Amino acid sequence: MSSVTVAMLYMLFALGGVAVYLALPGGQRSARIAGLIFGLSAIAGFAVLAAGHLFGEDVSAVYFCILAAVAIFGAGKVITHPKPVYSALYFVLVVLAVAFLMVMQEAEFLGIALIIVYAGAILVTYVFVIMLAQQSGASAVDGRAREPLLAVLVGFVTMAAVVSQAGHLPGNSTAMVDAPDAALARLAVADGIPAVDEPGEADDEPLGGSNTAQVGFLLFSQYVVALEIAGLLLLLALIGAVALVMKRVPRDVPVAPAPPLGEIGKEVPPF
Amino acid sequence: MIVEWVQGQAQLVFSCLLALVVVGVMLLGVAYSILAERWIAAWVQDRRGPNRAGFFRLFGSFHFWGLGQPIADGGKFFLKEDIIPDNVDKPLFILGPATIFIVALVGFAVIPWGGQVQIGDALLNVQVANPDIGLLYVLGVGSLGVYGVVLGGYASNNKYSFFGGIRATAQMLSYEIPMGLAILVVVLATGQLRLEEIVLSQMGDGDVWNVVRHPLACFLLVVTLFAETSRTPFDMPEAEQELVGGFHTEYSSMKFALFFLAEYAHMITGSAFLMVLFFGGWHIPFVPGLQPGDTAWWAMLLKMLVMAGKIALMMVFYIWVRWTLPRLRFDQLMRLAWKGLVPLGLGLIAFALGMLYIGKPQAWVWTLVGNVVILATMLGITALIPSRVTGRQYDMPELPPRTSAPASIGGP
Repeated sequence: MSSVTVAMLYMLFALGGVAVYLALPGGQRSARIAGLIFGLSAIAGFAVLAAGHLFGEDVSAVYFCILAAVAIFGAGKVITHPKPVYSALYFVLVVLAVAFLMVMQEAEFLGIALIIVYAGAILVTYVFVIMLAQQSGASAVDGRAREPLLAVLVGFVTMAAVVSQAGHLPGNSTAMVDAPDAALARLAVADGIPAVDEPGEADDEPLGGSNTAQVGFLLFSQYVVALEIAGLLLLLALIGAVALVMKRVPRDVPVAPAPPLGEIGKEVPPF
Repeated sequence: MIVEWVQGQAQLVFSCLLALVVVGVMLLGVAYSILAERWIAAWVQDRRGPNRAGFFRLFGSFHFWGLGQPIADGGKFFLKEDIIPDNVDKPLFILGPATIFIVALVGFAVIPWGGQVQIGDALLNVQVANPDIGLLYVLGVGSLGVYGVVLGGYASNNKYSFFGGIRATAQMLSYEIPMGLAILVVVLATGQLRLEEIVLSQMGDGDVWNVVRHPLACFLLVVTLFAETSRTPFDMPEAEQELVGGFHTEYSSMKFALFFLAEYAHMITGSAFLMVLFFGGWHIPFVPGLQPGDTAWWAMLLKMLVMAGKIALMMVFYIWVRWTLPRLRFDQLMRLAWKGLVPLGLGLIAFALGMLYIGKPQAWVWTLVGNVVILATMLGITALIPSRVTGRQYDMPELPPRTSAPASIGGP
């Protein structure tokens, strides 16, 4: 990337940061509208910047742009919407858009797993908790952001740093995509399992060249320690949850003596 | 030029046509399942069901057994006033029924309807889409179904709706776990996530339907399907006696109709899924024309008919259970999921892993014996654990013997 592009990228990040700061709940209505306009122009700037890199490739770039715009819009709404239920629902939208982006990158398993885990389980629990917590209406604390300036600064500076280090716009990031494939092929050859690029052989093996098999193979070869640690953490969390909610109830709780049959309901005053 | 393009994209064109046909047939099927529900209800309760609405009385007083009833119902739904109460959360109020119906419809995309068909020189899948992860797709879409109910309950701003939504969330989250475990047993046994391959794995030489291989997993899936579609005995989210109508109390006209129809659409999708996983999909053993090698167009139609027939049988089972079993109480429902179905599912998973380890995941005689052993073990453990008495307690005073007519209760 040329230094001009990088400078423009940073300026767009700054614009996005200002937009989010203005749009966070708690401000004036006019400020939030200004935030919306700034945010939209930042997204449009990214689109213009990316257009040259993307539209040379193929038609799927159009889908990428649409889904990415939906994801960014949803993510902005998650942190700027004043009602928590809507925030959670926009989070669902973000998850769906990102899952479709993954499916487009031929990572079907990751995409569907994201939907099942996040949209299907975690966010339903969020909505559940929000519904339970807000029976008496939204509290005043929900209406404004806490430490908006610091949050926006940390968030956008981190994002700019990550993106500048990744150093590639989506169109020419082949170096990043190739690396895991090469590792997979090396491992596969070592273990005698047909690699992905040989469809003729892959058909013989159950789940041979499929995406799920690749993920499983990588998880249980290269990343097996991480997998085991994650499993252990989940188990500990499970035990901790049970220990937290468990209440020891003595077996012989004194039961209030039941009144004789004819007396039941006598103490209740009539209407 | 267009003709050439179409020939190159035969599968795409065929998939689009199939999607249109399947959605059309399913919407009709949903309408007529409601009629079937009312007929079977009438039959169970020994009364006459809907038998008046015919088609224009073309043939004198002959009413076609009430076959016009779904169309009349649909017309009634459209003509009713669509009330949106003042103090509801309007966007979510509209999003709720839309979500639940969309989710019920898109689940159909990966169901295999009839193996493969030869058209011209192209061999096409009779399936809208055949992704690597077909089974996970069904699970993922199904897990989104709860949003419709939750949003409907929350947006209505009504305590009965709210309780319905809360109950639905807890129930669906709980029953998704044993459902996933039951499905995982099939995945372990067949080593496939593609639904078409799972169907094919039940019809090779010496192969049997998965219901013979893993009857307990099939039972688990049937129970959880009842819970996921909120059908009796698991219809706590809309328990009429306690919650008026549950999450759809405030809905009227077509919005209510969407909730109502989505329930049946979910049932049809669930039935199709069950048939594919455990009952061989479009396959019947030893019947010519229903084998994987038959790719003529008439074989495809025959297979689709068989699949539809199997789904219809499952729908009758759904309805039959609804008008036979009473509703569970909510604590009983939760106890069944977490203390009954989840341990059973974990046991089945361990067993299926063991079969995979010794290299015989598909040996149905052994899996059948193993299932019997697991069932006996579970029943034994259940008999040994003292169950909590939730009804009338043993330390309550005895009922006095009734000697004369009971004293009249209440004043004049």
